[in-house]
Amino acid sequence: MEERLYDLIFIARPATPEEEIKKVLSGIEHTCAEKGGKIEKTEYWGTRKLAYRVAKHREGIYVYQQIRTNHGELIAELERRLRVQDVVIKYLTVRLDEDLKRQKKLMGKREQRAARRPRRTQPAPPAAPEQTAAAS
Amino acid sequence: MAEEQKQAQAPSGAPRREGGSGGHGGPRREGGPSGGGAGGPGGRPRGKRQYFRKKKVCKFCVEKMDFIDYKRADILSQFVQERGKILPRRMTGVCSRHQRWLGVAIKRARNIALMPFAGSAAGTQAPRAVVPAAAAVEAPKA
Repeated sequence: MEERLYDLIFIARPATPEEEIKKVLSGIEHTCAEKGGKIEKTEYWGTRKLAYRVAKHREGIYVYQQIRTNHGELIAELERRLRVQDVVIKYLTVRLDEDLKRQKKLMGKREQRAARRPRRTQPAPPAAPEQTAAAS
Repeated sequence: MAEEQKQAQAPSGAPRREGGSGGHGGPRREGGPSGGGAGGPGGRPRGKRQYFRKKKVCKFCVEKMDFIDYKRADILSQFVQERGKILPRRMTGVCSRHQRWLGVAIKRARNIALMPFAGSAAGTQAPRAVVPAAAAVEAPKA
């Protein structure tokens, strides 16, 4: 199985002390190390307003991570662990690599088109004066 | 002669004006001043859609975005109503491909409480950045 990139976001209760969040993070790290995954990025978004009430809270602490792994079971395991944790009120894992692959492909296509374009625009200017001459 | 022309046009103009007033604010507004003047004869026969509508362009195509990030709630919130409904393409002018991605991104963002689901209270909503084209379409209706 080829490598896959995942987004992992979880929301902790608004009044969670920092040690608790660190505990959750180290738990994730531990699971990743166990199952063969690498944490690419960890972002701490801080307290944000939630768009709707989650577990009777109107705001929550967002933590965002990117995980690269070969094993899909890792994500299942991480989700299971996050679900169990009391501090975490919501989490989301999204597979990102397919979208990024598509993005890369489209960007490549655009560059190709841009490289081709100069040739196509060159014949155009001579055509324009002809039209104006015919009109007059 | 001139009066006869006006009278002849008036009946033909009136029903059209009624028809136009159903959905669009444009024709009715233009019908008022043109009733007595010479503005009528030119535009009338061509149809009800004589008011100018700006051509909408896909915002994502303009910015050459190949990937719509679900984490950017500030971008996504431009394409939903206040209550969180995804705006249709005819309002925002987004191209079909980007609308498809946009829908996916908004749904992901809803899942992690970055965006409201349709129907949730507007209290937690950040002030919405107005899409100019969408606002122009919506304003006359309301």
